[in-house]
Amino acid sequence: MTRGTQLTIGVILFGLLILFIQGLGGDPRSIPTVLIGTQAPNFVGPDVESGDPISLSQFQGKVLVLNFWASWCQECKVEHSNLLKLHDRFKDHPNFDMLGVNYQDQVKEAQAYLKVFGSSFRHVRDVKGALAIDFGVYGVPETFVIDQQGVIRHKWIGPIVGDPYTYLTEKILTPLLNQTTAST
Amino acid sequence: MRIPFLAVLIFLLALPSPGQAAMVDETEIDIQTREIAKTLRCTVCQTENIWESGAPLAHQMRDVVRERVTQGQSAEEIRAYFLSRYGDYILMEPPKRGMHWWVWLGPFALLLIGGFLLYRELGRWVAHTPAPSTEDLTPLDEESRRRIERELHSGP
Repeated sequence: MTRGTQLTIGVILFGLLILFIQGLGGDPRSIPTVLIGTQAPNFVGPDVESGDPISLSQFQGKVLVLNFWASWCQECKVEHSNLLKLHDRFKDHPNFDMLGVNYQDQVKEAQAYLKVFGSSFRHVRDVKGALAIDFGVYGVPETFVIDQQGVIRHKWIGPIVGDPYTYLTEKILTPLLNQTTAST
Repeated sequence: MRIPFLAVLIFLLALPSPGQAAMVDETEIDIQTREIAKTLRCTVCQTENIWESGAPLAHQMRDVVRERVTQGQSAEEIRAYFLSRYGDYILMEPPKRGMHWWVWLGPFALLLIGGFLLYRELGRWVAHTPAPSTEDLTPLDEESRRRIERELHSGP
């Protein structure tokens, strides 16, 4: 076998090995979302606690943090205190709002969850799961940031703890809210 | 006793099986939903399509497909909707465009390269292997010839 043939086979095998290793580490969390920079889909659904209809249009002109969660989701429990902290930090800003989306859940269990872990913002039920699909949700928890113009600016798959929390508050929400303050 | 048993057996065999019933009851909407759902990946299980997956999200996705089929949307429109929400990842088959062509053409390219290298190497081996010389062959002696014939004609 000539040196050239050996080299060609070596390069091909190395390339296949790299692809194989990449495939082993395949994680939906690392798949870039196609929704960033697109208009957030409108929705209407019942409030988890009161049953009153909640729609995206009610948050028009605000920077909205939209968090998908479920009572059966362990990682949602991990991030819940941070969500309350985040809401507490920005709640006084006139252009800030936050909405939870209860996903694949029973209403009684969702209400019990909110009673146990506490809630300072509203939550809408995704009754048929269509809202989650509209937002390209893979699972819970997932968090979106929608700007004043209704454009999706940020998406995070997984709990908002540690670095994702810092990134969300410092790099996403603070600049967005500062912009809105400057423009109003 | 035998007659009632046979009668019951014939009666049971004459009844349509659940499988037949499902086939008979399958509407055009069911067929379209199934065909489209088979082309969309379950984002939770990853290796299954949403038609075969038992995950709740896959079930909800099937409902969305059915709803859109009922509204009269085409298969392409429905796939485009899911593509706009999840990106190329949602498709069971990578689309035939851009970098995805590597996935489609890569195996054939590897086969061609491998075939070419094998052909070249075999050609070299053949070229470098000296042909057997007929001068070196000694004729078969009489004793060996008789032994071979004996062994050929003897039973197992």
